[in-house]
Amino acid sequence: MFRLLSYVWNRFKEYFILIVIVLISLTLLTQNNNPQIQKVRAFAFGSFAAVTSVFYDMLNITQLKNENNVLRKVNAELMLKLSQLREQGIINRELKGMLALKDTTSLPLTAATVVSKSLSLTQNTITIDAGKTKGIKPGMPVISYKGLVGIIQTCSDNFSIARTLKNVDLKITVKNEKNRLNGIMKWNGENLVIIDVPRTYDFDIGDRIVTSEESSIFPVPIPVGVVSKIEEERTGLMNIIQVEPFEEVLTVEHVFVIMLVESDEKNNLELNFYRKR
Amino acid sequence: MKLKYFIPLIIFFPVVIIQLTLVPFISIQEVVPDLLLIAVVYFSIAYGQIFGTITGASYGLLFDLISGNLVGSSMLSKTIAGFVAGYFSSETKRDQYLYTYSFTIVVFLSGLIDAVIFSFFSVIDFNTNFLMALFNHALLPSIYTSIISILVVIVPYKRTFLSEER
Repeated sequence: MFRLLSYVWNRFKEYFILIVIVLISLTLLTQNNNPQIQKVRAFAFGSFAAVTSVFYDMLNITQLKNENNVLRKVNAELMLKLSQLREQGIINRELKGMLALKDTTSLPLTAATVVSKSLSLTQNTITIDAGKTKGIKPGMPVISYKGLVGIIQTCSDNFSIARTLKNVDLKITVKNEKNRLNGIMKWNGENLVIIDVPRTYDFDIGDRIVTSEESSIFPVPIPVGVVSKIEEERTGLMNIIQVEPFEEVLTVEHVFVIMLVESDEKNNLELNFYRKR
Repeated sequence: MKLKYFIPLIIFFPVVIIQLTLVPFISIQEVVPDLLLIAVVYFSIAYGQIFGTITGASYGLLFDLISGNLVGSSMLSKTIAGFVAGYFSSETKRDQYLYTYSFTIVVFLSGLIDAVIFSFFSVIDFNTNFLMALFNHALLPSIYTSIISILVVIVPYKRTFLSEER
């Protein structure tokens, strides 16, 4: 018996090892939301990000000069816009005061630098140098001065991983700024698309797409991109709207985290409403 | 204990640092070469199928943990890629596949398998053309990875390094 087992093991040990590892992998795949796995992941990427941030800083020195020029130009443009906005702000405050509306536009932002990027066609993520110690929590939106970059996925003490727009696991509610029509936007591995849009919806190439207030993640509309192509779905009933993002994930270096998490209050309210129906 | 068991671990850290910091600069339309896969294939041919399978699993798991991927996705794909690359390892075939441009073909084949399995957990979209998805998600990264793997063939010190190990 022992000789038989020994023979089988020696003959097929490669396959046994392969099967065992495949089973472990599949088990891990089902346990991704397990708190223990999340803890191990937070520790692993937190430790490693500290090392990669040093290398990334060294590599970025050469790019800083070009980026400074761009930022100076943006700064000048923003200064002019700020001047205009101040003027409009005064008028706006007066009008809002008249309507007794509370001004809710001041959002807390935390600046962060991208320290590493995991690029693949389907699961793009970035690691930023801001973590729990700065109050970052999973679910917070990550933006740049151009628009939405992604959403925080995991945090360690000093670093966080964010799912970018080009990650198939990130699906967000967006709307057409022109006519306020909502839709679900996702990365299909090739393009950023708004799916299942009825053909009767008025979408045109060049329309600006922003995040929707219907989403409990985004407190205010954040620019996402512009409509670049409108395709008919195979069924012929729906359209697929391709969106060209304002921010290119590949080149983003400096980001801001909006320090607001998903609104539990809003979610609970909506869930209660649906339960009572 | 043989040094060969520690070499993959020592090699992993510089390779993954390059993968996450330098490699994004040479991406073409977000298609990047997979340096970890090249290392897995190299160890698999050099030290055998079991060694390659376990190295693939370890590399995949560590990469999943530090990159934010689904934990287990790279582990599974690289395990199978390492296992397949192991078929090109034997006393008679080793030199043929390790020191010639055949290495790039093995990397391409393993890369294709790695990318197909990895993509399986990421992109299931019935509106996407299957052949086009296969081309974009598996073929292009595999070709790029195999092109970069030519560096392993032309690095002049590899013979000395491996012969000392054996």
